[in-house]
Amino acid sequence: MKHPDQWTDTAKQRRHDWYFRLGTIGIGVVILALWELLPLLGLVNPIILPPFTKVAEALYTLMQQPFFPGHLAVTFNEIMIGFVVGTLLGLGIGIALAVWPAAKRLTYPFVVGFQAIPKIVFAPLFIAWFGFGQTSKIVMAVVIAFFPVLINTMVGLESVPSDARKLMRSLKATPLQIFWKVSFLHALPIIFAGIQAAFTFAVIGAIVGEFVGAQEGLGYLLNLYNFQLRIDRAFAVIVILAGIGAAGFFILEWMDRKFIFWREDRSH
Amino acid sequence: MPNPKLQLVGAPFTGASERSVIQTRSISKIFSLPEGPVTALKDVNITVNKGDFVSFVGPSGCGKSTLLNIIAGLLPPSSGTAELYGEAITSPSRRMGFMFQTAVLLPWRTVEANVLLPAEVYGLKPDSVREKARSVIEAVGLKDFIKAYPKQLSGGMQQRVALARVLTYEPEILLMDEPFGALDEFTREAMNLELMRITQSAGITCIFVTHNITEAVFLSDKVVVMTPRPGKVSGVLDVQLPRPREIDTMKDPAFADMIFEVRSLLGRHI
Repeated sequence: MKHPDQWTDTAKQRRHDWYFRLGTIGIGVVILALWELLPLLGLVNPIILPPFTKVAEALYTLMQQPFFPGHLAVTFNEIMIGFVVGTLLGLGIGIALAVWPAAKRLTYPFVVGFQAIPKIVFAPLFIAWFGFGQTSKIVMAVVIAFFPVLINTMVGLESVPSDARKLMRSLKATPLQIFWKVSFLHALPIIFAGIQAAFTFAVIGAIVGEFVGAQEGLGYLLNLYNFQLRIDRAFAVIVILAGIGAAGFFILEWMDRKFIFWREDRSH
Repeated sequence: MPNPKLQLVGAPFTGASERSVIQTRSISKIFSLPEGPVTALKDVNITVNKGDFVSFVGPSGCGKSTLLNIIAGLLPPSSGTAELYGEAITSPSRRMGFMFQTAVLLPWRTVEANVLLPAEVYGLKPDSVREKARSVIEAVGLKDFIKAYPKQLSGGMQQRVALARVLTYEPEILLMDEPFGALDEFTREAMNLELMRITQSAGITCIFVTHNITEAVFLSDKVVVMTPRPGKVSGVLDVQLPRPREIDTMKDPAFADMIFEVRSLLGRHI
């Protein structure tokens, strides 16, 4: 039973939900209409902003091209490997620093220092170190994706309520029991928020890596179409990247709802 | 005229007996804070007998929680010793159960899984204690909520789960740090009655920390009155009100006298 302060009129709530859903769709329609009409009416140069229908057409033809699946696969692999490796590294190092305070005190200044560097500056360096192939892009994706997971893991593990630890100590729990039965699960909602950010960051890392120097991949295609002033195709690539980012976000969001059902800041 | 039901033991009692379960021998605790050392406890001697309900009562900063944590083996004293059946307490013991001001439930576990947590930590097979857990959950009145999650429960119900969790592993001694302090007055009263009923019937020795004088007198066989700066025992009172106690007990003139005695021992500190 919730406290009366938290009672809500569900019928009213549901009506409101519908208004907002319609409102969101409305805003989307307006944006697409402007996108379509501004270039057609000559208010914006169609070379700078091709109309929406042109982009949709370019997207369709691009996806028909025989070279397209190869580029898509290259970038997709870079993103996925970067995301997974970055997440595992962030999780591992975050846990190590949180459970071993001496390691944290010794290395924290370097963590903060490294965090302060805009990681993009490493992109040319990674090309020099790892070549024009996929490795340099994966390394870039790992380096960018790793930090939100590391930071959130540390913050999450340090935010475990002291009473929960005390309860476990009063039961003579081993440090391993305290970690797995209390700390890790307590930190999981915060860690998972970091993992969600890591996916978006991995996309950025892979694309930035390809911008700096690549012979294949969606970032390479995007760069190429920009130079060729085939802006409709450039937009088509952006739409595909947005699709990858959104798909990743929603899959992770779904996992979050399924596995972290106890998350407090969620009402439904 | 002195009240025959009321017996004031002016000084801390130190006599050990057959019945003594917990004994502290001149415990002091000094915390070194950035502002300098703070004496949280100074020369505390108390004895808790088997089956007794003992309250530590006093204002904030009198060291009552610190003393409880030392007895629990969660905090080492700076000097002196706390003993459980005559042996120095250096770490938590499974013979003692601890209850906090909040329920400290794990939100990803159902009521039943929360109650089974200690058994899991002890390495027992959950099935071997499931029956026991069920009967304790029933005893605290949560039969219909056995598969519910903590966020579906009110504060009072959550604290009942915490009580069930600690009772399931059958501790001989129950240590409670203002366990119902966060609850409203009505729920607190109901919980106190229930706590008394359960611990009395199971013969559990209880140490109960509170700043509520009425609560301390109502529940206890002995009230240890503590005063701050530095935290020390200013007196121990025997509450010789008959058991079982009900709300009616509060109408007993001896009850009011007792509360007055506690107040006078707290003296200028309140």
